[in-house]
Amino acid sequence: MLGAMPISPATPILLTEDDQERLKIEGVLRVMEHVGSDPQRIESALFDTLYEERRRLEKEHDRDKARAQRQFYDQIQAEALRANAQRQRQLLKRIVESFAAEVAGHFDPRFYALATKVVPTGLSVLLNAMSPIELVRAASHGFRTLEERIVVGGEVDAVQRAARHGTVVLVPTHSSNLDSILLGYGIMRMGLPPFLYGAGLNLFEHKFIGIFMHNLGAYTVDRRKQAWVYKEVLKTYAGCTMELGLHNLFFPGGTRSRSGAVETKLKLGLVSTALEAYINNLRRVTERPDVFIVPCTLNYQIVLEGETLIDDHLKEVGKSRYIIEDDEFSKPRRIIDFITKLFALDSRIHMIVSRPMDLFGNTIDDECRSRDRRGRVVDRRKYVMIDGAPAHDGQRDQEYVREIGRAIVERFHRDTVVDATKVLSHVMFEWLREENRDMDVYRLLRTGGAVESLPLSEAHERVDRMLGALRALAADGRARLDDTVAGRDATKVIDEALAHLGCYHRRPAVARRGDRLFHVDRNLLLYYQNRLSGFDLAAGGGRP
Amino acid sequence: MSARDGMDVLVVGAGRMGTALGTLLARLGRRVTLYARREDLARVIDEEHRNPTYLRDVRLPERLRATTDLAAAVTQTPLVVMAVPSQSFRDAARAVGDHLEGDQMVVHTTKGFEVESFNRMSQVLREETCTLKIGVLSGPTIPEELVAGHPTGAVVASAYTEVVEAVQDLFKGGFFRVYGGRDVVGTEVAGAFKNVVSVAAGAVQGLQFGESTRWLLITRGLSEMTRLGAAMGADVLTFAGLAGIGDLAATCVSPHSRSHQLGRRVAAGESVDTVLADLHSIEALPTSDAISRHAARMGLELPIVRAVHGLLHEGWHVQRALAHLMSVPVGDELVAPRTR
Repeated sequence: MLGAMPISPATPILLTEDDQERLKIEGVLRVMEHVGSDPQRIESALFDTLYEERRRLEKEHDRDKARAQRQFYDQIQAEALRANAQRQRQLLKRIVESFAAEVAGHFDPRFYALATKVVPTGLSVLLNAMSPIELVRAASHGFRTLEERIVVGGEVDAVQRAARHGTVVLVPTHSSNLDSILLGYGIMRMGLPPFLYGAGLNLFEHKFIGIFMHNLGAYTVDRRKQAWVYKEVLKTYAGCTMELGLHNLFFPGGTRSRSGAVETKLKLGLVSTALEAYINNLRRVTERPDVFIVPCTLNYQIVLEGETLIDDHLKEVGKSRYIIEDDEFSKPRRIIDFITKLFALDSRIHMIVSRPMDLFGNTIDDECRSRDRRGRVVDRRKYVMIDGAPAHDGQRDQEYVREIGRAIVERFHRDTVVDATKVLSHVMFEWLREENRDMDVYRLLRTGGAVESLPLSEAHERVDRMLGALRALAADGRARLDDTVAGRDATKVIDEALAHLGCYHRRPAVARRGDRLFHVDRNLLLYYQNRLSGFDLAAGGGRP
Repeated sequence: MSARDGMDVLVVGAGRMGTALGTLLARLGRRVTLYARREDLARVIDEEHRNPTYLRDVRLPERLRATTDLAAAVTQTPLVVMAVPSQSFRDAARAVGDHLEGDQMVVHTTKGFEVESFNRMSQVLREETCTLKIGVLSGPTIPEELVAGHPTGAVVASAYTEVVEAVQDLFKGGFFRVYGGRDVVGTEVAGAFKNVVSVAAGAVQGLQFGESTRWLLITRGLSEMTRLGAAMGADVLTFAGLAGIGDLAATCVSPHSRSHQLGRRVAAGESVDTVLADLHSIEALPTSDAISRHAARMGLELPIVRAVHGLLHEGWHVQRALAHLMSVPVGDELVAPRTR
């Protein structure tokens, strides 16, 4: 709870430099409070951190940086070995302070305050710069075309209201490193200030994206740091900013979806932090105590890093690769190629925000009240009351977080935009499975099975059936379709899918030759069709 | 003082189980209110301390109060116990949900599924109320024996420790031992499924078969129950506990069990309708229908459910049901649960 911090009530959204400094101090205090005063716990926290940090430094590429840090830790270690508990606590505090400085260090409040003015132009230029065609068009027509290409939809009004009323925590799906830019742009388009966002160091160091991370409200997350004390610093920092009323953003999937599927297993540490912030706010009786969760889907017809991600997914060892440093995102030419081709195809990227929820899975109405599944108004404060007062309860709160995790996954599915690429990929992959029933999926991907191609006429029939199923789901409010899938016929869907699947990747997932469709890159086929896993297509009649 | 200090617990439903639990809790000195829909029933419970429809021979404790004012009752209690038949559960849950708030807990004792949706009662509660702190109380709890003070036990399963502890505290000090659990799905599946097996067990008795047949049926019933539970995400160990084998065995041998009576009388030649006219609502009827419909969709073969469904819903003669069970191919006994 930011009890000790005098916070200027007039600046709940924009952070001043003083706030920033106080945040650091408060963060360190809280982490140290969490560590406690038990000598054994202090010792274990200190030496665990030293061990993890020295292990990390063994793999550090930047030698100068590594040398300086090693010196820092060596010095602490030497002293820690002969220090008493009180001194060990002081040494641990030094490490925590260095973590806090690093986390908040990349976040420049002046930049952040300025960002509301700078970002619109900056991001438009960046995104247009990725597409020379767009840049030429933009020069004569302003940046209108970009607005048409990047569709920001869903419950935008409700999110704007929630952001005025309380703190918003945006939880998007994650498929590409371009998501950060897209989100920055989408947030700006919604007329909201930048959201605080824990971005990986690799993004800060990226040639293209690095300079914009400040504007996106990013603070640093070094995923190579494994010490729990470091994770506690991150969590505390985010929590403090939420209590201050700063909107936050995090990817609950933890990393980009390797399989292409909508994330279902979520890492909800920051939702837990949001709940803590809410309870702290209620205890402090603040003016804007509420914290809202806003699920958001980011939908590309094709994904910049699709090939690398699915390859990684299919490799058993790949599942442990949290950071990929050599994917398409690390090659500016690939990014430019991707954007150029995507825009040349008149493709649209959809960012869809769901209706905000409270921290207990209830939806938020237009007056920012919570409503249960029957539409009844609910007093959300009651969920955290113990004997009539707001209070933390670890086990209860953990279950609440699980509950909201389920609600987020449900919204992800409902608000994922189904496009032609996914439909054709799903149809082709299902057909492949049917033709090779006895073959496991890995062998099928490797060999392609017995049949190379599907007659176009049969593909039409299958796509038609699937469109029927998807439209039934959409009518029921259980799926969201793009214009082509919602209203065009199978021919148009197939054409659009083939154009996308064949335009950017090194090998197309599917290619048409004559009146037949051939599977080419089956890994990609799997990747794109996976987006539809979790949709109840069988019940809607999508499968023959 | 919090607004929830008016009572310790509200029991919704003045049927057999609701009346038995209310009685038990009142005897333990708890401030318990029993909600009855009918004014006349609430009045008789309050003034004459008896329930003219269920457990008629039992004198109810004077401190057991009955009410028809659901709004007032729900508002005053920290914990609601729902003891309502599965097919009217949604309406009752919605009515309770009109007055519930997020700090309150709801536990149910209903052993059945919704027929159409195949929802478990905790899922219905989640849909119809705003509360998240939901639990289920289940086990070998035959109401007649509960009110007679026989030592028995049950499990209260909830994801929330607060719920588990609250229910354990309520029953502390008596002959009813309440164990804690976390597997809500398994506890609910076990409670519902045993009603179906109990019908078959009754039929076995009606056909004058002996103990070997009865225990063959109970054991294979447990196997089917476990298969369904595993497919629905339950912890299979739950079926080895009070809510599983404990409740199943009790229901399959107890003369008080109405589903057992139904099976026995149908096997002895009475029509299903005649028996149903005698007995009040029987969970086995909708539950066998619900499981039968959805097991097929889940790709599960449940021969006992199939036979009971034939007996209760398709006019099968008991000999046909028996023939069906005897014709099921035998394989390794424990293959199915292990493969999951």
